[in-house]
Amino acid sequence: MFALTVARRYLFSNPAQTALLIAGVALGVTAFVFITALIEGLAIRLTDDVTANSAHISLEPETRVARVLPSPDAELASVAIVSTFQRRQIRSWEPAVALLRSQPSVAAISPQISGSAFLVKGEAVAPVAVTAIDPAYLDAISPISTEITSGNSSLGADGILIGVRLAENLGLSSGQPVLFRTDRGIDRLLTVRGVFRTGLQTLDEKVAYLSLQTARPLFLLPEGLTNIEVKLEDPGRARDVAAFLHEATGLRATPWQEKNASLEGALTAQARTGTLIQMFSLISVLVGIASALSLSANRRRGEIGIMRAFGVSSTFIAAVFVLQGLLIGMVGAGIGCVSGFALCSWLATLTNAEGIMLLPVAPSEGGYVAVFLLTTLGAVLASVIPARSAARLDPLEAIQQ
Amino acid sequence: MNDVLEARAIGMTFRNGDDFTEVLKNVDVTLQPGELAALLGASGSGKSTFLSIAGLLLRPTTGAITIAGQRVDQLSDAERAEFRNTRLGFIFQFHHLLPDFTATENVAFPAAAPAGGITPAMRKRARELLARVGLSDRLDFLVTRLSGGQKQRVAIARALMNKPELILADEPTGSLDRVAAEQVLDLMREVNREDKATFLICTHDEQVAARCTRRITLKDGRVEGAWEEHPVVT
Repeated sequence: MFALTVARRYLFSNPAQTALLIAGVALGVTAFVFITALIEGLAIRLTDDVTANSAHISLEPETRVARVLPSPDAELASVAIVSTFQRRQIRSWEPAVALLRSQPSVAAISPQISGSAFLVKGEAVAPVAVTAIDPAYLDAISPISTEITSGNSSLGADGILIGVRLAENLGLSSGQPVLFRTDRGIDRLLTVRGVFRTGLQTLDEKVAYLSLQTARPLFLLPEGLTNIEVKLEDPGRARDVAAFLHEATGLRATPWQEKNASLEGALTAQARTGTLIQMFSLISVLVGIASALSLSANRRRGEIGIMRAFGVSSTFIAAVFVLQGLLIGMVGAGIGCVSGFALCSWLATLTNAEGIMLLPVAPSEGGYVAVFLLTTLGAVLASVIPARSAARLDPLEAIQQ
Repeated sequence: MNDVLEARAIGMTFRNGDDFTEVLKNVDVTLQPGELAALLGASGSGKSTFLSIAGLLLRPTTGAITIAGQRVDQLSDAERAEFRNTRLGFIFQFHHLLPDFTATENVAFPAAAPAGGITPAMRKRARELLARVGLSDRLDFLVTRLSGGQKQRVAIARALMNKPELILADEPTGSLDRVAAEQVLDLMREVNREDKATFLICTHDEQVAARCTRRITLKDGRVEGAWEEHPVVT
């Protein structure tokens, strides 16, 4: 393609200017990659922080709602009373568990009985949120066994694991007995097997772990479960998987995002801010290309005029400038992607004394394909204005100048 | 035999706001094949305007232009561009070569652009033309490395690339020193004589006109006097 030859020759005719132009594009693309990797990295870190010790999806029985039943004469109505004594439970949970185990998107599951209770130690009473689980799946949702600071994580038949702040509040330590009292007033003496520290105050102060076997008689649930907690391979797919599980099991499936609406709002705002910065960096790149090519078209008016005079078509002239834009865009975007990846990879190695990254960049999430395509396409579009102006040049006027 | 150029009743009026300037008035010009004609006139006489009209770079306000038997004043812009490319050759006062290309590439350019590249046949012809204008030792030189006279000879070779029926030259020696100008004029005469190429050379230089076989003088936008055969000064 001869237009490509001409375009290349024009670019090489002033290597310093072309290098500067490409460097400008590469710099803009590097900034785009960095911002994308940072925004994504922040989102990943925040999501990880939030979901590290909690489920990605919670399966629970549908909420029972008191319904008004209209009578035929419309004068009277009756209300179906919802029992508040009977716990909401998943009676036949085995099929749901089997379904979850068959899903490749599911990383771990934890069938649970959750409820409220009090721990009584002498005069001290503390409310606790109880999570009763199969000891074999203790770490399925939250890695409790790795966070035991005293004692161990073996729950046994009468064991209980409590958080470090709860232990401090009640003056408990591992090996000591504590009176467990359910919200239905059922008491049982349990032994503190271990004390854990997650670093999250709500967990360390309010949560206690029992085995399912221990919890069943205490919560009057000889067979059922109150909830099934699910961890996914990709937390970002929680909404889709939750919708599928709700459809498949009839259970209420709540993705983690719904439980953390404010976080999701913050992530969305953060993503929008990132998009704005990306947009501005791209626009500055494209304005640079358009102005440089406009200058080039102006500088070459005489040459363009003579080409037009000896019959070279306006399409050919336009193609020369569009191809220059394409080449600048492709080369600049390619260099920018490589330098952006290198920059992000280097930043990812910088950590503080605790081993936490100084900037939570995710080098693999730099949006490389998108920025390469957007820059290349944008560069072509940016070159259209100078290309059109060059193609429309009146040969006589250009030659006479 | 068809006239190479037949311009009938050409009128050209330029408008600038409410001002109208009539540059050409009812101009009739005819060129026979193989003529080397000088178009003379003082500055503002309309000779460059006529050359631009003959070269399809400008549309006349009135009149008709026929080149090599084809009526061309009513062609579309794209058709005019194609006609210029295939049937006309241009030599300008300032060579207007493409500085980023070699002499061979510059000469081949008018053929290469529409074809999508320089074919071996084009390269061969370009080199032959350059050899003919005395630049066989400068074939692959960037034109920026050539002297003014050499550049103008490249421009002549470029004008011949597509074997045009009419070559239009606008002050082709205007930017050259006397020696280089003589060489360029000799070259054009040689091409005219050997190839039977038809030239219309716009000039205000009597010495250039003296080397041509015919002369047409424009004064105040009109052809002055009758067509005259002119004895060639050698």
